[in-house]
Amino acid sequence: MEDGNSRQKVRDIYGFIQDNLYLNRPDMRVAEESFNSALLFSLLTALNRGKELIIGEPGLGKTTSAEYIGAMTYRLPLGLIWAGEVSGHPEQTEEKIIGRPDLGRLNRGEEVVIWSYLAQLPIKIVDEINRLPETKQSMILDGVDRGKWEYLNDVIINEEYCLFATANYQDRGTNTLIAPLIDRFDVIVESRHPGTNMAFMIGMKDRYENVLRSAVFERRFQEILLQRRDYHEKMRGLEELCDRFGDHMEKEFHVRMLSQAERKEIRDCMQELPLDADANAFLRTVIAELSFCHKYGQKRSDEHCEEGCHYTGFLCHHTKNCISNRFPISVRTYSQSLAWLLGDEAVGIDHIKAVLPYALAHRVQWKDDYISQKQASNRRDPLQIYMGKEMVNEVYRRYNEQSHHIKNALAVAYQTLSGKGLEPIEGDHPIYAEIKRDLEEVR
Amino acid sequence: MEGKDNKYDPLLKEIWAKVRKKHFFPELPDPTISESMDRVALEIKSKQITLNQSFMEEAARHLPMEKVVEALLDHGVAHYTYCPWDFHTHLILYQEAKKVLKDKEMAQKSAGYFMDVVADTHCFKEKDTPISDLYSHMERGTLDRVIHALYQRIWGRDLNVQGCEEISRKLSRIPYLDRKPWPESIHRFSRIIQGLLESEEKLGTLNQPNPMGQNDFGRYTPEEMDQGLKEFAMSTGDPGEFKGVVRDLEDELKEAGCQTHGNMGLGSGSSLDADILFYMKLAENYSLPIKKTPIEKSGSLYPFSHSPWELGKPFRDIDPWTSFGKVMPGITQIWERREGDTFGEEEGTPSCIVVIDSSGSMINPRQHLSYAVLGAACASDAYLRNDATVAVYNFSDTRHGGRQIVDYTRHRTEIYQGICHYFGGGTRLDIEDIESLQNPSQPDIFIITDMQITNLEVLIGYINGLGNRVTAVHIGENKDVRQFRKSMEIRKNVSIYSVQKKEDIPRIVLGKIREYFRSVS
Amino acid sequence: MINPFEDFKEYPYKKKEIPLDRIVRAKERVMDQIIEGYLKLVEEEVKELVWLVEHNRILKAYSSALQTIQKFDYDVDDIEELCLELDKGGRIPYLISGPSGIYISALCNNAKEQEIHLRLYELKRTFHFLGYRLPEGKTLILEGDLGDFIGAGLSGGKLIAKGSTGNWAGAGMMDGELCITEHAGQNMGEWMSGGEIHVDGQIRGIGKTIRGGRIYQRDKLIFPNYLTSRY
Repeated sequence: MEDGNSRQKVRDIYGFIQDNLYLNRPDMRVAEESFNSALLFSLLTALNRGKELIIGEPGLGKTTSAEYIGAMTYRLPLGLIWAGEVSGHPEQTEEKIIGRPDLGRLNRGEEVVIWSYLAQLPIKIVDEINRLPETKQSMILDGVDRGKWEYLNDVIINEEYCLFATANYQDRGTNTLIAPLIDRFDVIVESRHPGTNMAFMIGMKDRYENVLRSAVFERRFQEILLQRRDYHEKMRGLEELCDRFGDHMEKEFHVRMLSQAERKEIRDCMQELPLDADANAFLRTVIAELSFCHKYGQKRSDEHCEEGCHYTGFLCHHTKNCISNRFPISVRTYSQSLAWLLGDEAVGIDHIKAVLPYALAHRVQWKDDYISQKQASNRRDPLQIYMGKEMVNEVYRRYNEQSHHIKNALAVAYQTLSGKGLEPIEGDHPIYAEIKRDLEEVR
Repeated sequence: MEGKDNKYDPLLKEIWAKVRKKHFFPELPDPTISESMDRVALEIKSKQITLNQSFMEEAARHLPMEKVVEALLDHGVAHYTYCPWDFHTHLILYQEAKKVLKDKEMAQKSAGYFMDVVADTHCFKEKDTPISDLYSHMERGTLDRVIHALYQRIWGRDLNVQGCEEISRKLSRIPYLDRKPWPESIHRFSRIIQGLLESEEKLGTLNQPNPMGQNDFGRYTPEEMDQGLKEFAMSTGDPGEFKGVVRDLEDELKEAGCQTHGNMGLGSGSSLDADILFYMKLAENYSLPIKKTPIEKSGSLYPFSHSPWELGKPFRDIDPWTSFGKVMPGITQIWERREGDTFGEEEGTPSCIVVIDSSGSMINPRQHLSYAVLGAACASDAYLRNDATVAVYNFSDTRHGGRQIVDYTRHRTEIYQGICHYFGGGTRLDIEDIESLQNPSQPDIFIITDMQITNLEVLIGYINGLGNRVTAVHIGENKDVRQFRKSMEIRKNVSIYSVQKKEDIPRIVLGKIREYFRSVS
Repeated sequence: MINPFEDFKEYPYKKKEIPLDRIVRAKERVMDQIIEGYLKLVEEEVKELVWLVEHNRILKAYSSALQTIQKFDYDVDDIEELCLELDKGGRIPYLISGPSGIYISALCNNAKEQEIHLRLYELKRTFHFLGYRLPEGKTLILEGDLGDFIGAGLSGGKLIAKGSTGNWAGAGMMDGELCITEHAGQNMGEWMSGGEIHVDGQIRGIGKTIRGGRIYQRDKLIFPNYLTSRY
């Protein structure tokens, strides 16, 4: 399937937002290209139906970056995106987030739900999610996990959706994003200060975001969303209106956006991209270091290993928890998206390395002494992401030393499980122990 | 590529892409070519690889230019991705070589060649490199001949080297590609080539540059060196060893942009100053938290969030708005209430008085790692990082002059000078000294001692009368510690920690008051 | 059942090996054997980590060591490496100076090479009994300060100690040459019946029972002293 045209469109969207709407500095490099991490990962999140947590200081564009991405990838006017946002404060209720009963019909004894914009729209933005009580955080994440929203006895199922949640750094007046909830986010990024000179430029031009607004279309979209009819019929109507809005944007402002069919095509292309042998083996190496425990079988939050273990040089010694199964899914999905965007035919180790820190920064609980070693280092990232990058570097070094050996071990393991009587390859890394264990369980 | 365009730039770009992929995309800037370098083939400064054009052209007389460029880049990248990888490893290798060779230049030379052997052999084995072809046709000094003879043996390739059988045989037994025993390996490596290095020194040719580039400290950025010194302090755990290496390399470190502070040397009389830099770097590995202003609870309950109403729950908390005026399960919602938070009167971090025991029962920080000095250093850093000032009261036998007081300051070196001073005498502190540092803002007090203080009761009595937050850290366990703990049981403003190993230090929370526990979530 | 390694089905698993790997592996194998031999000797000869210096014990330990090492295929570098391992104490939990020296001597005497050079100068420990029964035709050069009983029972070989020795150097030597470039301890040459000892530095004391041979200090013959003949 020819996806070169779609790829160019996506790059154009990125370029348009970067040049006109979300002024910021590139802060990561993949292959020969530089990207701004917040913008890049927001774009990938929108394309592959992910969940992204955006952190940063107040007023640095956390929410606006998500709004622009949402508007341009889903062809929705900005005003509608704003209307669908949920802001985090303790008084938020289920009725404001998901839906409410139709009061008129309720008084007549009928239970009919009026769904919120958040539940209906594919772009879901929750501002300052850490200010919501845990029950509400959980409610939103449950909904986005499955695309299913329930209220009273009614259900709607989103076919296409993605979540952007923003959070300020922990301070008074916020709740903690507890581990089971934060694990559900695919990636975490920081929306940074753009630097003195870029910051100076913000607001100098006319407010370009007005390009993404249209009072007429916004009204029409709202009319559709407020209609009392079957959700899927509404969505069909919505998509037709999105087509018209997209055409309007292209004609009037030469801004090309993505249609639903194009987004599906892109997702299909992304999912087909294979991981090359090194990317595959490297990711397994990372998972091994974050889940393995020589003493207790696997990492567990309530079981900490002491000094003297043979594996003290590996990440398993510096972490408290076991990495979840969502982690490799997030890494694979985002790596494939990134590789697709760069026009590569397979996911390589560079794609994996680029995505890893953002996919695990929020999922790993480091031990206090390890944090204290890194906390005072000079860095440009917030501590979580910085430690994620340091972790990736460490594992990369170890992988570089024995990549061939690891790949051999995996290949031999395949042969062994297929019936050939080969002995598993030994080595000094948790991955070899894990391979051996897989083979033992079968034998 | 910087500067004006070089005719080899397109080739370099093409080969660089290939080499980057081969080495799994290391984070290095694009390499450049220079027309004005010395005899060396390449140079690495702050991660920037620069190739020598005349060397390239000379080598290209024997093999294709693409192979020359690829071999040089492989060599340069392998130093970054494999050996030494970081400044800390480089220091360890140097340290081990110095133990054998006892001479700085020889140790640097040995470490440099060792790193070359490791990097090249890794490339040869794992990365499909034309490095061996490059070496076959290279001009060689005596040491280079030995190294190439070694390569012949361990790679199984003919590099046109004759002789050096015995020495290359001995060198070939070292497991270069096994990272864990590198310290031991370089020890053996240095022993074997020691004779050669000594001859080179006698002939005055020791300082001739390594044709494959000097493995000096210029390859690291100042941040990398700073990080490396921290890790080195942590891994040696010995102030003497750390000092030995840093003192040797002070000039090179300064030249490369790394700030070091010289040690204080001996003090007057019988008092000794410890190696301040060691403790400074070691303390940077730790980041102790400080409890800031306590969050005062208002004592009242305020509505916080909703939850569904169920039959049997009280009516008074029903929210009529979100319940749409209905009282029925599934529709009606009630408010959950929570105690409100308000700000306290004071904000920020108070100053701190660091009280450190340097009596004879405490370890001499110059000779061995002193947890007392380390703990005090970590605490001082924590307060300084939070924009507070620190005063130091270092005591031994105060009756006989064993005291040093540093008034409130933010000057890190002065504070460390106070902390690292070692008296080694009796143990008696003077409460008036601490009192002289008190002020109306009630600074925090951080005291670190083994509690074997002659007038411990006086100290206990003094602390019992204080309103300051006190963090008391004791080294080891003894009856005096138990007595102190028992006396402080009811004191809410005193937190006591024990330090028996380095790993206990991050557990210290400065300024923690026990009543905080109820408010901490 | 799912095969989680499916992705590596086509990966050509081939061991990449260079001569270095073979050399190191072979060396490790030999060292393992040698170390095992030493530990076996210690187990047999040393009771509760105490080993008394008695003539019969020495003979027995040496004979036992010789028997063990006959099967090994080693070279000079392995012997020096054993010394380093003994000093380091990693793979070898304890160093008993007497048996370790005898074991090293057995290795030296049985080695293929005629000239053996051991650099021991920066080791923390000193070995006793180095050069024990060094046979004719062999030259053993030891660099560094050494322990007691160096060159004991020398049997025709040439032992050069480039450093100082402890007590009882050359004890019971029968033939051969012992050269000490620095100082020697007490009881030097006790029970010697032949051969020559040359010392360039000071001698703390000569043995009381010397049956034959000569002792030189800085090229000057000091035993037998013809003014006070002891034979």
